[in-house]
Amino acid sequence: MTIKIWPLAALLALTAGVAHAQRSDADDAAAFAEELKNDDTSTQDSASKDPWEGFNRKMFAVHNAIDGAMLVPAAKVYRATTHKKQRKGLRNLLANARTPAILINDLLQGEFKRAGETASRFVVNTTIGFGGMGDPAERMGIPQHSEDFGQTLAVWGARPGPYLFVPLFGPSSLRDGFGSVGDITMDPAVWIRTDAAKYLRYSRAGATGLALREPLIEPLQDIEDNSLDYYASIRSFYMQSRKREIANGRTNYDDLPDIGAFEEFDELE
Amino acid sequence: MHITSMFHRFGVAMIAGAVLTAAPALADDETEQFIQSVLDEAEPYLDAPDQETQFDGIRQLVDKYVDMRRVGLFTLGKYARRITPEQKQEYLPLFKEYATGIYQDSLSTYAGEKLKVTTSIDRSTRDIIVNTEIIDAEPGSDLANMVVHWRVYRTRDGDLTIVDVGVDGIWLAIEQLEQFTSIIANNGGPPAGIDALIVDMREQVAE
Repeated sequence: MTIKIWPLAALLALTAGVAHAQRSDADDAAAFAEELKNDDTSTQDSASKDPWEGFNRKMFAVHNAIDGAMLVPAAKVYRATTHKKQRKGLRNLLANARTPAILINDLLQGEFKRAGETASRFVVNTTIGFGGMGDPAERMGIPQHSEDFGQTLAVWGARPGPYLFVPLFGPSSLRDGFGSVGDITMDPAVWIRTDAAKYLRYSRAGATGLALREPLIEPLQDIEDNSLDYYASIRSFYMQSRKREIANGRTNYDDLPDIGAFEEFDELE
Repeated sequence: MHITSMFHRFGVAMIAGAVLTAAPALADDETEQFIQSVLDEAEPYLDAPDQETQFDGIRQLVDKYVDMRRVGLFTLGKYARRITPEQKQEYLPLFKEYATGIYQDSLSTYAGEKLKVTTSIDRSTRDIIVNTEIIDAEPGSDLANMVVHWRVYRTRDGDLTIVDVGVDGIWLAIEQLEQFTSIIANNGGPPAGIDALIVDMREQVAE
């Protein structure tokens, strides 16, 4: 069975290469103009992945109202009352608490090397990292990586589906929205039915919100200030970064939209 | 024996051919040197303590090396063919001003850091991506492991120009394309949508 797959993979790689060569050799101006007319030059066209744009824009407005009235002021108070090292400590602690869910997703994706790294990080940081406040594993050369059930679904072949913006949760897709529900079930605190566990869940959710929002105060403000269409900017940043996250940090340069098309275009004027 | 050996050799050649055809990555020394020289030229400006010197320096380098006309047309996406000559005359200078401001904001975040070229990828002989990383970034900091990409376009005359900058797989011109096409589509498509984009851009540049 495995023997049969190899020639197929080679064939696919070969045809991909040929198709690529053909595209870049399309120097004939007329053919290029035709291609430009038929083909949307943006292969990463986000708008086509956002059929619920009207709904999403409303949710985006709701989110920004809450963000401006509550999250940003709270994040500013948090910043003013804590030291940089304390905030780093809290981020580490929360990241460490998420490690079991990352481990499960590493395993579900068959990424055993990364699963090993995740397990080592959990052991090292929980012990000599004082329960996760520090990140000695990073200095030992075991870098942090993130996984979630949405990424696992993607690795299993689920398409992202429509773009979805949920207030407080931020940009997502139908697949990643389902994934978030999956991630909640991987959290041990969800299955413990005591008041203490409930308080832990709520306070952790609040702390996570603050810890995530605080370092983004300036970057998000910059994006908003520099944008002509803030909603479309966030959608684009989300879709571009999500693609790379799913590929575990490997950047794909092949599916970028062509940027050289306009030399031929100029000659048509 | 003889036939098997020939067949074997043929097979090896086939595989080698397939690998060479499919390989997307070819090192491109000339383009890597081009980006390294731009970075060297940018270094004194990025080391400057005041933002004014940084911004002036970045503007000079953007004027010299970034092909704003090409990027400006690219960011219109499928509407690039529908823009009228009058709209184009207004749009292109505004875009240049807008995009220069974005370059100034984005690149000045690396003030005081040193970037070095690590690898390059040829998408085609004319469309090359050069990757750079920050030297001596503090381990565990946001800047460590960060990859800054430079998209270089080789014109028909062989000149190298910068057409896009990205960080960790997120590209500026692609994000601009998605904003602009969204504005054009949501304002009734061309030509009215392009007028709306020009109005928004003029306001943004004036700020």
